[in-house]
Amino acid sequence: MTLNRRTIFAASKSPALVCLSLGSFALTALVAAFLNPVAQAAEKGPATKASVRPQAAAEHPVDMLLASENTERGITLEPAPVIDDLTFLRRISIDLIGRIPTQAEIDEYMAIPQARRRIATIDKMLADDRFGDKWTAFFADMLRLRNNAEGGPQLFNFVHKAIKSGMPSDEMCRRLIATNGKAGFTPEVGFLLGDAADPMALAGVTSQVFLGVRISCAQCHDHPFDVWKREDFYGFAAYFSRTKRVERRFKMQILSISALEDDKDAILWPPEGVGKKEDRKPMKARFPFAMLGADENPEYIARLRELRAQQQSLVARANAKPAGAEVDDLLESASDTVKKTTSGKSIDAITAEAKKDAEKVKGAAGGYSTTELRQELARLITDPRNRFFSRSLVNRVWYDLVGHSFVVPVDDFSEKNQPSHPKTLDYLADEFVANGYDFRQLVRMIVSTNAYQRAHVPQAEEAVRQEMEANFLATPMRRMLSEVLFDSIVTGGHLFDVKHEAGKNMKTVWQESRVIKGPSARGGAVVDAGKLEGGAAGGAMMAKLTPEKAAPKAGYDLEAAIEETFEEALGGKDDDEAMVDKMAVKSSEEIEAERMAMERQRLTADYIDRFVKAIIDDNPKFASSYRMPSPAPDGHFLRVFGQPERSQLGETRDHLPSMRQALMMLNGRLTHEASRVGELEPLYPLVTGKKADLDAAVKLVYRELLTREPSADEIKDARDVIAASDNPLDGVADFRWVILNSNEFRFIP
Amino acid sequence: MSCFDYKMTRRSLLAASSATLLGMQVRDLLAYAGTSHEAKAEHVILFWNGGGMTHLDTWDPKPGRPTQGELEPIATSAPGIQISEIFPELAKQMHHCSLIRSIAGTNGDHGRATYQLQTSYNQSSNVRHPGIGSVVAHERNQMGDLPAYISISGRAANASYLGQRCEAYFVAEPGSRDPYLAFPEGIAQTRGNRRLEVLARYNDKFTAKATDTKLGSNQTAIEDAVKLMRSPALEAFDLDKVPTSELNSYGDTTFGRGCILAKRLVQQGVRFVQVNRGGFDTHTGNFPAMRAHGEVMDPALASLVRDLAESGMLKKTLIIMLSEFGRTPNINMNAGRDHWASVFSCFLAGGGLKGGTVIGSSDKDGYNPEDRPVQVPDIHATICHALGIDPKKEVMTPLQRPMKLVDNGTPVMELFA
Repeated sequence: MTLNRRTIFAASKSPALVCLSLGSFALTALVAAFLNPVAQAAEKGPATKASVRPQAAAEHPVDMLLASENTERGITLEPAPVIDDLTFLRRISIDLIGRIPTQAEIDEYMAIPQARRRIATIDKMLADDRFGDKWTAFFADMLRLRNNAEGGPQLFNFVHKAIKSGMPSDEMCRRLIATNGKAGFTPEVGFLLGDAADPMALAGVTSQVFLGVRISCAQCHDHPFDVWKREDFYGFAAYFSRTKRVERRFKMQILSISALEDDKDAILWPPEGVGKKEDRKPMKARFPFAMLGADENPEYIARLRELRAQQQSLVARANAKPAGAEVDDLLESASDTVKKTTSGKSIDAITAEAKKDAEKVKGAAGGYSTTELRQELARLITDPRNRFFSRSLVNRVWYDLVGHSFVVPVDDFSEKNQPSHPKTLDYLADEFVANGYDFRQLVRMIVSTNAYQRAHVPQAEEAVRQEMEANFLATPMRRMLSEVLFDSIVTGGHLFDVKHEAGKNMKTVWQESRVIKGPSARGGAVVDAGKLEGGAAGGAMMAKLTPEKAAPKAGYDLEAAIEETFEEALGGKDDDEAMVDKMAVKSSEEIEAERMAMERQRLTADYIDRFVKAIIDDNPKFASSYRMPSPAPDGHFLRVFGQPERSQLGETRDHLPSMRQALMMLNGRLTHEASRVGELEPLYPLVTGKKADLDAAVKLVYRELLTREPSADEIKDARDVIAASDNPLDGVADFRWVILNSNEFRFIP
Repeated sequence: MSCFDYKMTRRSLLAASSATLLGMQVRDLLAYAGTSHEAKAEHVILFWNGGGMTHLDTWDPKPGRPTQGELEPIATSAPGIQISEIFPELAKQMHHCSLIRSIAGTNGDHGRATYQLQTSYNQSSNVRHPGIGSVVAHERNQMGDLPAYISISGRAANASYLGQRCEAYFVAEPGSRDPYLAFPEGIAQTRGNRRLEVLARYNDKFTAKATDTKLGSNQTAIEDAVKLMRSPALEAFDLDKVPTSELNSYGDTTFGRGCILAKRLVQQGVRFVQVNRGGFDTHTGNFPAMRAHGEVMDPALASLVRDLAESGMLKKTLIIMLSEFGRTPNINMNAGRDHWASVFSCFLAGGGLKGGTVIGSSDKDGYNPEDRPVQVPDIHATICHALGIDPKKEVMTPLQRPMKLVDNGTPVMELFA
């Protein structure tokens, strides 16, 4: 136990967590680092026991509450049964780690004694690296994270790290709202810069994303069907009144973009066009959302206080220990995750680094001050007395997992749109707060319920089905999200690694390549028509100017997954000062002359188009779609299957099927390659060769792609499909292609 | 509109007709309100010239002025209308074509201007507006087997809140085969068809007796896809059989093939075709670059207008050419022109427009609108009007916020016959 606490301390000193002293929650930030499942397993305090302890599903308090609320609602329908073990494995794997399970995972799962099978698997998946990847996509949709936005990649990295390390959700929210700093250096500011640090936009975004309340209509007029008045919106926006997007430029070049605060108020009341101009005065910030009164002291807040006090005393006690030889011992016993966080550096080195980083932040804010306004807002939004925050996040996560939410749509809590099961929602929300806003525990609690584990009822009468789904007596059919579908095809088709022997897929291809021959001697007048043609030079030029509109390429690029490590997004970006110094010694004329010289060289370069014959080993490998910069380019597989662009507030995933999706699945390279049988796959020896056993092959396909055993009829049918082809390898490929394209594969069971 | 406006009688409006109401010219307002226009156009071909095409060296020459540059104007088949010498063939078709020379833009930045010219809206931080092609696809049903909205040689704006159905179908390069329209490499027709049959059977079995419509809709999408894969209309994409004489008359270039493809798609019923082309950001060496552009664009555009006119399709097809902005009348030290949004031009043809018309003018050196300024959203309202779509119609965003199809534009009524 003690050892664990010290371990935790070692992890908590990572510079990213220390560098931002944003006031009262800095300490919580330290605590955040160890709230990972590894630490939790050993650190379950008395306060959290009740909801964490594995329970027999039937007596889960959430199910009991749902049943009693359903009785109150006059619902008399019988619930659908809980799904069987293999179906559960497929569902939980898709929902927690974003892909279908492998054969090895099925075996491992079935080997666990049945009583512990589900809960043990839940815990294993909560600790999986892919949990962080999958839920980063959830937060990316919610927070509208965009890789192509200012500070976007770093913000992605921040959120990914936060989820992976178990940063409490209130802490994450506070940081996103309250942090000032520079894009690319202070990762959290990407959130403010995503909306150009615009006070009005941020007021709408913050209320809807974190509180599930749509007050942005009140920007222009009193809300048409809710209590929000224009003055409420302005009062809320006033928390961002002094927030600015600041560009640092030097001689026409943008060096950096920051979100900072100054002493000028942008939000004035009355609004423009109402009353006299001279009457418009800075609006006073006011939080319009109801909070629990000071006289109300619910148990969950007491539990949160107790938990946080314990965590603080842990940190304090760890701090009291002198750092020295002991640190090595601590690191020695630390888990792998913790080791990664500290990268083996000594505590002193880490502290020094953090100090340096903190100074840099101060420097970057030169000329700007930090006000209390957004810190105050962050505190109010995440105050345990403000139930909007916990209810709203719980409602979203419940929707993502169960397929139907208490409040529909998820971000529209209002007087006129009350939750269907308020007591259940509040229980979940209060437990979430009492457990220290621990996101993993929230997910764990939801997936442990019968409500999550119930079967679908696609054959019930329409009205009955809808009533069952709305009252959590059955789960709605859900299609796999685009990332899940992509990664599941890659998993099922063994495409994360090469599956063909080297040299088995040699192909001759003609590749067109355009090379610069070097600057022409002919001066300026050499641009001829050919060079400006369509997607060639002209396209390249355009692509440079508007990177988000890069010209599409022919072929199957729309299914490529270009892997990006989240870690690369950080580091080595803070070289503004050095650049200014370097540039300052040149005159404007010199700089302009350099720019022109480069421009001229670009335009006068001679290109040669060459077709190059190449022989390649076409042995494809695909990376996880969760590691792709997102949103993916227009027309990419992920976008076609519903990954949102994340530019507009309230944008939701489009789950509807389309012809374009069908074309991509029927004829695309991903499905095709996943279907083909590779020599390095476990399936291969069952299909061809001396030990071939087609029944076993069919069973393996069912397990690998559909996570279930086939019936005798299904085996016979599959054998017929395989037999219709020229040879068993083609036949099994055909069969796998059918399964990958089928409804059964696409819908989460 | 404030309440004072609608109380005005038609007469008092006429009396005030030299004034403007909320920046909108009163006579346009009247014309718009008073016509019962019968839409003639059914299709649109939009040319997107990325980079910001100079207005002075194309549609709005300034002969004899210091801003003229190296290119001369030439006379056209439309009496009194002169265009740049880089368009000798197109000049012969000018009686079918119209120009707007007084677009008053406000965005001098590529990103923001592209956004507004393609959507009619200015960029906003928390809502993304759909492109005009998606608006047309939303308001007009698909005709024939091909998708309603196709973009050639590059991407078009997103459909955003209009939904996936209104997204453009992309053709990377005219004449190139879309790999997704045929079975994967190495899968013969009989084998591919057998796969589809088995798939339909498996899906039917899975869906059996289900009342949940979600289940059936996947198979419907598959059936739509297969219908397209097997459609004879796909031949339109295949340019191999286009006679050499036709290819040559369009100038055998990517752009020329793009124009031929656009023509063939429109003939198959496609509602909105966007043909993209870049290279107009002529900060350096503007004049040779524009001559080069002329060599590519002139034969293709002239042939397209001529062919559509001869086949009778031109009156049903609105052709429009847009770019982010114009370029500085002042010629910079690199013999280039820089970004200039205060005034620029737009080329139109067909679609029930009169032809041989010029709307508005820029001042003598091409710096600002002189007469009849046209706002950017007016262009989109004009496209809608030509198709009989009400540009003021509202659609709901995910936030249940009503948004007009076009950002308060007024059609340029003088263009219509």
